[in-house]
Amino acid sequence: MAGPGYVGSRHTGRCLCGQVTLAIAADPLGARQCWCRDCQYLASGSPTVNVLFPEEAVRYSGEVSTLRMVADSGNTVERGFCPGCGTQLYSRTLEPKGQPMRVRAGTLDNRDVLPPQSYIWVSSAPDWASFDPALPKFSKGPGSDPVA
Amino acid sequence: MTYTGRCLCGKVTLAISGEPLTTRQCWCRQCQQIACGGPTHNAIFKTADVTVTGDLAASAWDAASGNVLTASFCPACGTHIHGQPSARPHLLVVRLGVLDEPHGLKPEVVIWTDDAPDWALIDPALEQWPQQAPPAPPPPDSVKA
Repeated sequence: MAGPGYVGSRHTGRCLCGQVTLAIAADPLGARQCWCRDCQYLASGSPTVNVLFPEEAVRYSGEVSTLRMVADSGNTVERGFCPGCGTQLYSRTLEPKGQPMRVRAGTLDNRDVLPPQSYIWVSSAPDWASFDPALPKFSKGPGSDPVA
Repeated sequence: MTYTGRCLCGKVTLAISGEPLTTRQCWCRQCQQIACGGPTHNAIFKTADVTVTGDLAASAWDAASGNVLTASFCPACGTHIHGQPSARPHLLVVRLGVLDEPHGLKPEVVIWTDDAPDWALIDPALEQWPQQAPPAPPPPDSVKA
């Protein structure tokens, strides 16, 4: 599903079993960890670590399963995962439109492409969660009340 | 039941009748892949204590520990439910995110820190192992060295 802006791969990745591969034709727009409760389900009790890219620049090859839900944010999101190994691949917002695609950092071949720059949904993080004091924390989604 | 849980979409549920032998945070590369870039957090229960209801899909791979690790997940939402190492079929490595809150469990041991990315924040108060931890957790009443 190559978007119209696809011109070649700056970044590549794959799921654990290799059934799905991805190629990204843009550089990241940002990176953040999300502690919303939905993400903790999908990330085995961790926050998801997401690298943000323009959706039209991300191309997946292989079979991708999807799940559509209303997220904690109230937005309708689609989460994609590999049906062969359950590796979470991405989250994208269907409504409202125009938001960057969240590519799960674990699927990127170069996991150091952009370290997390902020934490979101820390209001639902467990007591034992660790936070880098140098990074901003938001109680809910991006732009919500900051947390000291 | 001591603990209950479910996947994100709710098609898979869990009922657990005992306490975990240990809880771990695992930074091996495979865990980072299935856990969206961070470590998996796991509570290790006796297999006999865990009842899972609902369809599961599974993927098996040769883990860095030398085990064949079979990871089971919900085919409808991809939530990973548990892992099982081939050498220890009597143990089930349950993903912490699927347990209903409040469950009071938190990671006690961190393993495979060799594979953690530079940005990883690992609680210095936790017991840490660069790779696999020793295979059998100590009895609860033993004195830690």
